Amino acid sequence: MDAFLQFVFSGLTVGAVYALVALGFTIIYNASDVVNFAQGEFVMLGGMITWFAHDAGLPLWAAALIAIALTSLVGVALNKLAIEPARGAPVISIIIITIGASILIQGAAQLVFDKQIHRYPAFSGDAPIEVMGATILPQSIWVILGALAVFVALWLFFTRTLMGKAVLATANNRLAAQLVGIDTGGIMTLSFALSAAIGALAGVLVTPITLVSYDVGVALALKGFAGAMLGGMGNPKGALVGGLVLGLLEALTAGYLSSQYKDAVAFIVILGVLFVMPQGLFGKTAAERV
Amino acid sequence: MLKVENLTTRYGRIEVLHGIDLEVAEGEIVSVIGANGAGKTTLLRCLSGVQPISGGSIRFRGEPLTAAPHKRAGLGLGHSPEGRQIFTNLSVEENLRLGGYSRKGATREDIAEAYEMFPILGEKRHLPAGGLSGGQQQMLAIGRALMSRPACLLLDEPSMGLAPLLQKQIFDTVEELKARGVTVLLVEQNAYGALKISDRGYVMETGRITMSGPSAELVADPRIREAYLGV
Repeated sequence: MDAFLQFVFSGLTVGAVYALVALGFTIIYNASDVVNFAQGEFVMLGGMITWFAHDAGLPLWAAALIAIALTSLVGVALNKLAIEPARGAPVISIIIITIGASILIQGAAQLVFDKQIHRYPAFSGDAPIEVMGATILPQSIWVILGALAVFVALWLFFTRTLMGKAVLATANNRLAAQLVGIDTGGIMTLSFALSAAIGALAGVLVTPITLVSYDVGVALALKGFAGAMLGGMGNPKGALVGGLVLGLLEALTAGYLSSQYKDAVAFIVILGVLFVMPQGLFGKTAAERV
Repeated sequence: MLKVENLTTRYGRIEVLHGIDLEVAEGEIVSVIGANGAGKTTLLRCLSGVQPISGGSIRFRGEPLTAAPHKRAGLGLGHSPEGRQIFTNLSVEENLRLGGYSRKGATREDIAEAYEMFPILGEKRHLPAGGLSGGQQQMLAIGRALMSRPACLLLDEPSMGLAPLLQKQIFDTVEELKARGVTVLLVEQNAYGALKISDRGYVMETGRITMSGPSAELVADPRIREAYLGV
């Protein structure tokens, strides 16, 4: 039982990171139907910039804010320089552009930063908290709360605000969105900035646990993508649940079976779910009359 | 209200509108009729700015109309586009709310008014708009365009693909809009239906205005009767 709870804690921590990456996917997908595979690089930048700013003498909170702000700018630049010029191209081409951008950002990070593995101190110390015989790191609680907070904020944004609806409308029908007065270019800029900020926040929160180097982004993007697909692409609830389930599957497999099988089991479960529910757990089935 | 002078536009290198002159006075319904491919939709797209113009000028309420496309709804120019183009993934009510985006979202009163005009939309207010029938989608497209409280409404083929009874209902609605003080520029392939409710009409052929005049005269013109009314 203690072991089980321990696995659950570590699963929730990893899952919360996946959920944050998946939530980042959600916004850009909702605004443009594009899956942004550079999402993992935003996480990397969040961790990297925080480390460098902290190393340069800034307090951790200031370093984190700078990291989130700069990463948002990178997101906006990605949209302006790579995505917007390709407007009108098929979605699949734009997705391939984001893969290219991911490789570029990684390469640039090697040059601008370095190739070392970095870590900065946890926000509330490293003393594990004991819960019913298992232990959890204070930083894990930060990560989980961070994912929950972002989820609630996004859920409110998409269901309660006119701006959130405008994002959904922009993806659904860009022409009609313009005709009702939505600045669709501005919505895209906003989506990339928000997505990048959420990715960076994930990086800021998780680096004290998992460490950061220039190449951590790819694996995170893949796992976050898997979580988002499992939960249903485009739905914040799906991103949260999908990410957490994926993390739990991995942790439980690693704990009870073997850590070598953790990725395999996770992906087999996802495949199984998608065979039965191609839209994911919370995805809407596309019912449209034409 | 709206004055178009010598307007041209091109798709790539090919000019598709060759100097359109057109005027809509306040309170009028003006129809533009013509065959498929005559350039009617392109003309409306130029007016709302989603198709860039290559020459000529558009004046709206006395001012040159050069604002970015997404700012024109806020200036009082509503556009219900060809093919309805509703937001299929959002509910009927969300579509209407977004219709008033230029005014920070349609108010409860505006939306209630739309439901009064089209009661079926009220019944389906929480359903995804993509599941509506063609006629209901058309009502929603018009309703959505009205949510910005336009002074002038551009209506593109509102009767397209609808059963005759529904077509009549849509045309009745357009007349009702006029009674409420909305100026309407109506583009239609259903020439008879459009001319019957409009004050004046223009005939478009391959990117040019070939005839214009009071609708009653156009309906009586033998050339139009032969080419567009099938009599």
